[in-house]
Amino acid sequence: MKRAPLLLVLAGTVAGFVGVLGLHTRPAGLATPGPRAGAGKAGRTPAATPDAAPTGPAGPPAAGGGTVRSALGTQVQFGYGVLEVKVTVLGNRITDVSVPALQVIDPTSQQISEQVFPMLRSEVLAAQSGTIDGISGATYTSTSYAQSLQSALDKLHIK
Amino acid sequence: MILSPSVPHSVGVSALPFSSAQPLPAARDRKRRPRRRGSAGPRPVVAGAALLAAGVGLGATTALTVTAETASQLSAAGGLATFAGNVTGMVGTYLALMMVLLVSRIPAIEQVLGQDGLLRWHRRLAPWPISLLVAHAVLITAGYAQAARTGPWHEAGTLVRSYPDMLTATVGLALMGLAGTVSVRAIRRRVRREVWWTIHLWMYLALAISFAHVIVLGPSFVGHRLTRVVWSAVWAATAGLVLTYRIGLPVLRSFRHRLRVAEVRPEGPGVVSVICQGRRLDRLPVSGGQFLFWRFLTRGLWWQAHPYTLSALPTAQHLRLTVKGVGDHSGALASLRPGTRVAIEGPYGVFTRHAQRRPRVLLIAAGIGVTSVRALLEDLPPGARPVVVLRATRREELVLGAEITELAARQHGKVYELIGGREHASIDAHWLRRTVRDLRHRDVYVCGPEGFVTEVVEVARRLGVPGETIHHEAYAL
Repeated sequence: MKRAPLLLVLAGTVAGFVGVLGLHTRPAGLATPGPRAGAGKAGRTPAATPDAAPTGPAGPPAAGGGTVRSALGTQVQFGYGVLEVKVTVLGNRITDVSVPALQVIDPTSQQISEQVFPMLRSEVLAAQSGTIDGISGATYTSTSYAQSLQSALDKLHIK
Repeated sequence: MILSPSVPHSVGVSALPFSSAQPLPAARDRKRRPRRRGSAGPRPVVAGAALLAAGVGLGATTALTVTAETASQLSAAGGLATFAGNVTGMVGTYLALMMVLLVSRIPAIEQVLGQDGLLRWHRRLAPWPISLLVAHAVLITAGYAQAARTGPWHEAGTLVRSYPDMLTATVGLALMGLAGTVSVRAIRRRVRREVWWTIHLWMYLALAISFAHVIVLGPSFVGHRLTRVVWSAVWAATAGLVLTYRIGLPVLRSFRHRLRVAEVRPEGPGVVSVICQGRRLDRLPVSGGQFLFWRFLTRGLWWQAHPYTLSALPTAQHLRLTVKGVGDHSGALASLRPGTRVAIEGPYGVFTRHAQRRPRVLLIAAGIGVTSVRALLEDLPPGARPVVVLRATRREELVLGAEITELAARQHGKVYELIGGREHASIDAHWLRRTVRDLRHRDVYVCGPEGFVTEVVEVARRLGVPGETIHHEAYAL
């Protein structure tokens, strides 16, 4: 009878652990734009060591005719700021992605964003879609970027 | 060695109840009195459910933290240290909450697990949350420093200065460290009790001010509404339980019962009975053998609550505790002035008839342990036929002797007094086997100083009494 309390706690621990693991089989991926990232004060993940990211020129022009259209994605509030992605397409090709409006709370976050946005832009242009891998160490930025981008693409009825 | 069914002592008469010369309420009358509330007994289901929930919470918290990180984050600079820091932080905080709940004196839990058991677990668990949280601080600093490519001290400064709620969290950790350090046995002995108690209470403050930084910065919470809500709910529930059972219920009880000291009566050398008067005291769910935490609202005593056993079941208007003056607090009780207000918490204690498994009982007490036995005797179910063994070095030390004799006689029981030095009059296996022939039909209740209790429990075990029918309560300073 003396050991029963301990066994109960142990059983509960195992159950809780397994239960939460089971519920978490699908991690919040970057490919699926999840629900709006929660509001709140600054939260931050440590900055990634940025590799040299070329701020390349816009992608190759579309073969054949097509109109140039652009759209502004929804404002997405993430851990430490708000961003909006603007995408420009020519026909069906994404030619440019930019972040015209970025509001962050602290200067460190500003720095991170400035490093990360060019990398994300390259990824989008290479992948030609809103489904990107994101930058390790800047998960929240990447997720929100992808979210806003996708909403812009939806507005243009592309992919 | 003196062995005899005891003879009633003669003592002066007093107008208040519980006087040794006044007869106890006749058995007839007791049956006609309205049934006393409480004594419903412990409900193991509640305590079991609580333990299970605690375990589930621990497992869930750990899994939550483990799954909050992605592989890419782990491989980033400082990722591993940050991950370890997150795990230690969450688990450490959860265990700290459990520590608080262990001593929140929730009656439903306490009646099954026992106050001394809960305290023992509180002390045993203590090193874990503190070490985990210190490790958490170190690991997070190291991880963030690696990611930002700076030295750890510089990063520590940045963390504390420019991240929200980190300054308070750091102060909180420092307070926790202080409370933990002061409680280390070697240091606690050298510190005055008021100082130790105050520092220990700062633990509540430390937890309260550390809450924010977890919700705001923790990876499990940023962007995850559900986990934020659940975590906040758990904290709110803990705070609610602490406020209710450590403060709310005692205050409510004090107002309801309006307890005041009525009389302080000497019972023997260094022993006094404090009789308190109030109203509706029979509504307290007290079982014989239980104790209350007593807070006497007078200078020097108001800030501490000490546990003392009730030496009789409450009547509608009176409570009685009988105390031996061995420490600062118990010694001060002899000088209590009538009219002093009293705040109580409880009742607590598992040394009651609800623990009884067998048809009859053997009650063994030494020194001031007779108080529990005296209260138990009044509460025994019919047919218990108690055999009572009282042990003391000198006859005057056996307080409440007349009441015990009368109560035992009423139940067709027997009282043995073993008086003398330890060489002549101690309870050994030989004596017990000879005197109590039907030991295997009796639950054994032992109460008294720690050394005595350990010895007698050992003797009972050697005589083949199974563990679950031995109940003991040791008085320690």
